[in-house]
Amino acid sequence: MSTTRRTFLVRALVGAGALAGVEQPPNAEAQNSLPTQPHSAGERHGAFFNHDDAATIAAFAERLMPGAPGKPGARDAGVLNYIDLALSGAYADLQDFYRRGLAQLDAYCRKTYHEPFVRLEAARQDEVITALEAGNATEFTWPTPQEFFNTVRTHTMEGMFADPIYGGNKDFAGWRLVGFPGAQPIYTATDMQNKQGFSRTPIVGL
Amino acid sequence: MATEKTDVVIIGMGAAGGILAAELSKSGMKVIGLERGPRLTTADFSGQDELRYFQRQELRPNAKRQPVTWRPNANARAIPLPILNYGNQAGGGTVHYGAVSWRFHDDDFRARSQTMERYGVSAIPKDSSLVDWPLTYAELEPFYDRAEYELGVSGKAGNLQGRKIDGGNVFEAPRRREYPLPPLTADQSGVIFEAGARELGYHPFSTPRAIISQSYRGRQSCTYCGFCQAFGCHVGAKSSILVTTLPEADATGNFKLLTGTMCYRVNSDNSGRVTGVSYYGPEGSNNTIEAELVILAPFIYDNTRLLLLSKTKKFPNGLANSSGQVGKHLMAHITPRVFAAFDDRFVNIYMGPSAQKHSLDDFNADNFDHSSLPFIRGGQMSVSPADLEAGPIGAAISMNPPPGIPRWGAAYRDFLAKYFARYAAVVAQTENLPYADQTIDLDPDVRDQWGLPAPRLTYDWRRPNELARIEFLFTKLEGLAAAMGATRVWRAPMGPGSPGAHHEGGTRMGNNPKTSVVNRYSQSWDIPNLFIVGSSTFPTMSGFNPTLTIQALAYMSADAIVNRYKKNPGRLA
Repeated sequence: MSTTRRTFLVRALVGAGALAGVEQPPNAEAQNSLPTQPHSAGERHGAFFNHDDAATIAAFAERLMPGAPGKPGARDAGVLNYIDLALSGAYADLQDFYRRGLAQLDAYCRKTYHEPFVRLEAARQDEVITALEAGNATEFTWPTPQEFFNTVRTHTMEGMFADPIYGGNKDFAGWRLVGFPGAQPIYTATDMQNKQGFSRTPIVGL
Repeated sequence: MATEKTDVVIIGMGAAGGILAAELSKSGMKVIGLERGPRLTTADFSGQDELRYFQRQELRPNAKRQPVTWRPNANARAIPLPILNYGNQAGGGTVHYGAVSWRFHDDDFRARSQTMERYGVSAIPKDSSLVDWPLTYAELEPFYDRAEYELGVSGKAGNLQGRKIDGGNVFEAPRRREYPLPPLTADQSGVIFEAGARELGYHPFSTPRAIISQSYRGRQSCTYCGFCQAFGCHVGAKSSILVTTLPEADATGNFKLLTGTMCYRVNSDNSGRVTGVSYYGPEGSNNTIEAELVILAPFIYDNTRLLLLSKTKKFPNGLANSSGQVGKHLMAHITPRVFAAFDDRFVNIYMGPSAQKHSLDDFNADNFDHSSLPFIRGGQMSVSPADLEAGPIGAAISMNPPPGIPRWGAAYRDFLAKYFARYAAVVAQTENLPYADQTIDLDPDVRDQWGLPAPRLTYDWRRPNELARIEFLFTKLEGLAAAMGATRVWRAPMGPGSPGAHHEGGTRMGNNPKTSVVNRYSQSWDIPNLFIVGSSTFPTMSGFNPTLTIQALAYMSADAIVNRYKKNPGRLA
């Protein structure tokens, strides 16, 4: 990572903190404490998911976009909270898709590994996701394994990168990961001529 | 149920309908415009929200409530398309489009003659319905000029009255004067595209766009925010119909816009003239408008659908369809893409207007010799973000990682983290030939929210001429990406055979009433007081985006109606 990019990320993080309290809806405040164990406040749910399904989706999304030091992942971004809210609102027509998909995933994992998805080691979870992506997982009728994989992947990316007002991308975690400055209203000619990463202003949200 | 009378009713207030509304109401005609969606304003577009506008497609038709189905051939079952790539509000597609504004080439208007003269008739695939247009570039040029100046287009001339100018598109046909506004500032993807293309001996230039580079007619210039394709412009710098011709129409006092309305039938009498339209109001009411002149200007599917739904004893195969040509020759652009990633620099492609930022035209139309190639016609090339929209959701959804990196997991995360601000896509937009068996008709099984049969597309671009063209262009794109200095270059996979962007055809224009639906003025051959305006009339499509040509044709129709048809309502010669 170049010095400039690191500087940018640091500045972006500072800016994000400064803006987050002002720009985010009140219920986002409660998310700002870091999760201390797998099912803590950082993985808010309850709008749609029950506890078990929430744990499964949180674990699944984390394998799709795993966090690492300095690299925010799906748990850091609150992807579960995003999907939970979306399924109780804009994507309410996908509730049955998720219910059936999660039930089939559970059946596949129990049949193949005798454990639910969340109890599997990360490497085993990756095997399961690989089988879904390739369409090799049994126990699936509707949705098909690929449909379920693709939808969870798409929603994980939305939760990583949509504006924080939708409940994910917490503290601009996704935008910090990739170096996106957000909803900037203007770029100057100097910005456009720069061969380095953008660092003139903090990340801006809605 | 309401019935009202007017001089003119226009269906669809998009790229064409908005221009006709302004021009006809300025001439003193009473005009009613019917628009399926709402009328938004610049103030509605302050939220630069990628999820809402790009991913959830808020400015486009809802694919569930307003389904369009597709099948690759007449033996397959049609399935609903997941995404509909056109507008659903006053201003139509010009609200959310990338605003790329081309004039077609001289030979785009005579693709059949050009091919026969240079390569012989055997070069044309036997099953293609390739034809010349019923008008020439020179005849349309005054209306291209009119559209560029009325709306506000930024660019640099490459052919000023026959004089070629380096830095503009040297392949363009002669224009009478410069663009009204200078080119938009190039972002870094444009800078490296320009350098790479020059190194290969090509002729790159800043893409002409209906986005104002300086203040123009009281409107504020572009801020380069990047939320462009898929978004409404937050400062009104995009020269959409919302901020250009609709205010002109409003000012006349002769124009009334009815939003949230769905036209379901064009009414006609026994004499063979149209008498007006029927439509559903926003609250479900069933209404009629009686009009002297009916103009159809919705997205192309609805031109064919309305004509087929409006059949009578006199027109048993659909209104204005004595030729049997309604619904035929559907065309769409297909876009081979190559990704270029850079280790030694940032590109920041999320800055600036997002669609087709910088272009070259060396492999479009008949601008290059096809005599040793297994295909005819070409494609326009440009540099763009992954899906013409530059946010991280778009990159995550639309950019496949290079071979060896999966679509998820730590390696994918690291790929996206490193290259999101360090990549560019180079894209070709191909001129697919017309084929009579590529069609739009009424789906027998699927209905929309109004209970009307969904438009059904029968289409598959995977034909020998088209496949060969795409492979040729892929190779050129890879060479270009390498010349731009990319560390890694890889292809995007081609999708299924479904139509891509910019649909054309269904009510083809021509010189012969037996083989075409409308004449060069977009006037029905069968019914002189019915006009059908838009890309549904294009006989061939060119590799260029259609909107400026739609708008030039709208100005041409308006000119013919105001100056000739009004005095003598009948078939225009």
